[in-house]
Amino acid sequence: MLFTLAAASLIRHRARTVLAILGVSVSAAMLLDMVMLSSGMRVSFGSLLTSQGYQLRLAPKGTLPFDTEATIKDGDAMVSQLLARPEVVAVSPVFGGQLYILTAHGVIASSALGVIPAVEADYELSSGRQPATANEMVANDALLAATGASLGDTVHVGSGFDSQLRTLTGERTLRIVGRARFIYMAREQKGAALPIETLRAMQGRDADGRVSLAMVRLVPGQDIESERAALERLFPRVTVISIAEALKQVDERRSYFTQLAVILGAVSLVVGFLLVTTLVTVSVNERIGEIAVMRAIGVHRWRIVAQIVLEASAMMLVASPVGLVLGLVTARYLNSILANFPGMPERIDFFYFQPSAAWTSLGLLALSGVLAGIYPSWRSASLPIAITLRQEAVG
Amino acid sequence: MSFAALCLALAIAQSQDSTRHIAIDERLAADAHLHLGDRVSLSATPGESGSVATIGAIVRRSADPAEIARGEYKVRLHLTQLQDLLGYGDRVDRFAVATTSEQVIGSAAERINSAAFGFRAHRSRDIAVQTSATFAVVSRFHRAIGVITIAASAIFLLCIMLLKVDERRRDVAALRLMGISARTIVRGVVLEAAGIAVFGSVVGVGVGLATSWLVNLHYQGVYRTPLRFSIVTTDIMLGAVALSLVLGIVAGWLAARRLVHTPPLALFGR
Repeated sequence: MLFTLAAASLIRHRARTVLAILGVSVSAAMLLDMVMLSSGMRVSFGSLLTSQGYQLRLAPKGTLPFDTEATIKDGDAMVSQLLARPEVVAVSPVFGGQLYILTAHGVIASSALGVIPAVEADYELSSGRQPATANEMVANDALLAATGASLGDTVHVGSGFDSQLRTLTGERTLRIVGRARFIYMAREQKGAALPIETLRAMQGRDADGRVSLAMVRLVPGQDIESERAALERLFPRVTVISIAEALKQVDERRSYFTQLAVILGAVSLVVGFLLVTTLVTVSVNERIGEIAVMRAIGVHRWRIVAQIVLEASAMMLVASPVGLVLGLVTARYLNSILANFPGMPERIDFFYFQPSAAWTSLGLLALSGVLAGIYPSWRSASLPIAITLRQEAVG
Repeated sequence: MSFAALCLALAIAQSQDSTRHIAIDERLAADAHLHLGDRVSLSATPGESGSVATIGAIVRRSADPAEIARGEYKVRLHLTQLQDLLGYGDRVDRFAVATTSEQVIGSAAERINSAAFGFRAHRSRDIAVQTSATFAVVSRFHRAIGVITIAASAIFLLCIMLLKVDERRRDVAALRLMGISARTIVRGVVLEAAGIAVFGSVVGVGVGLATSWLVNLHYQGVYRTPLRFSIVTTDIMLGAVALSLVLGIVAGWLAARRLVHTPPLALFGR
């Protein structure tokens, strides 16, 4: 009975109901997008950091990994000390630099990572294999496309320029043995990885023993924070960053998007709420006489409140799935816009769908639907029956 | 002078004569409690003894959008001073060339590039476009969000107009029975809708200006920059009013048209 009356009331004003559902759908879509945006980049970046199983990162003091060109002196000694610790399972040192590749059309510049292939955690091989000897390297699609090279080809590379002699410095001939996807590099960025010793040797004696970053994998169950503090005490010239700390830094940098998401999400919710409240209030005002009659024939006040709240909730609930689908489509579009941020790692998503985001949006909408119905329904159900009936009869 | 990202360690030095002067940004001065005339030790690697310099100037951060997301401090040194500090020899990252006129920029860049090895000449305008790519993305994002907001506002406005006109079913029925034409009624409703839309958008512009002021106040404080994050221009205001007017008129017209097509007696509920 309750459902029938609520449905009848909604169907009686079709245009109004359809518009309300449409309006709430757009609000729901916006709300879902903003819930996804508020946590998306954090979750996406967090999963990126944890995917390779390294819990701590050591960078030059006061810097984030690869945020500056600074390097850690005596990095090899530091790696040996780290490996000697019983809490540490593996250490992956990385040395960053530039690679210049001579082609028939000129010189192509690329980012280069010097790694120990057995423990590296900066790229995933999509084909080929890891470098096994000093004169082998892997490259990403952007670099292979720019150079026109394929797996198995050899390339002539250098680590710098000698402008006066018009030659490359640190020259080597390397063979491309693998195609890689670099986890932290931007989509358009050209990248290569080669054995750390090769890249250091190309850069000259100043690079001996230096590392730009060292990633540390701990024994399972090890307290990460206490080990982080212990390593900072042990190595005063480095900053030890745990995943939690890295995410905190990400939070600071993406604060603009978080604030935008909170503001727009709140506005969407308020707009949806106001829309439904307005419609329900008008609808209830039109039916004051009908409600008074129901009360007069003995329908309980709470039943009337329940019917009107049900109407408001029904509008919200019908609109929510439409809004969620619309939200996913718009999130995809908005994500494709933000994916063009210069320097943004390819695998970072600003809008990251999690079931919890959908449930949060749905819950908020359902709650606002209930709240939107409570006031007008309570007001109408509380009107004096006799006076209302008389006023309605007189007109 | 050259810019250096502050991976340099700074520590207050005790004594040194005839030191060179450096300029630091005001955020660094505030955070490290440094003042003009203070002596600091600069080194390229944390913990190493470096060269001592005197703070000769404290500079305000420029209103450069490319810098706001980066939290690092900046120190300006004499070129040779930084080259010595970093062991760079006479290497430079970039240098700027002033041409005699704008017309020769292209040919000058071409001549440099034809002779260059290991470096490349770019027009300043091209570099500006490249470095503002981040903001082009943000701008596109804002535009997309704006379209969604406009869609939601349009539906909201249509709903409100529908209700507003619906509330006057009896008035409209009476007018129709008195012989007032449907056209006149529609015009009246549309005029009313336009009036509401203009009034609403003027209030909206006021709210927008106030919000813009608050946004600038907040983010200039957060990022410690003189950059203006939100600018409400005359074009934006006129655009908002025009859009609101069009939406109001369309919503009013649709709602009124629906009402005048209903028989007057039906509007009376008979």
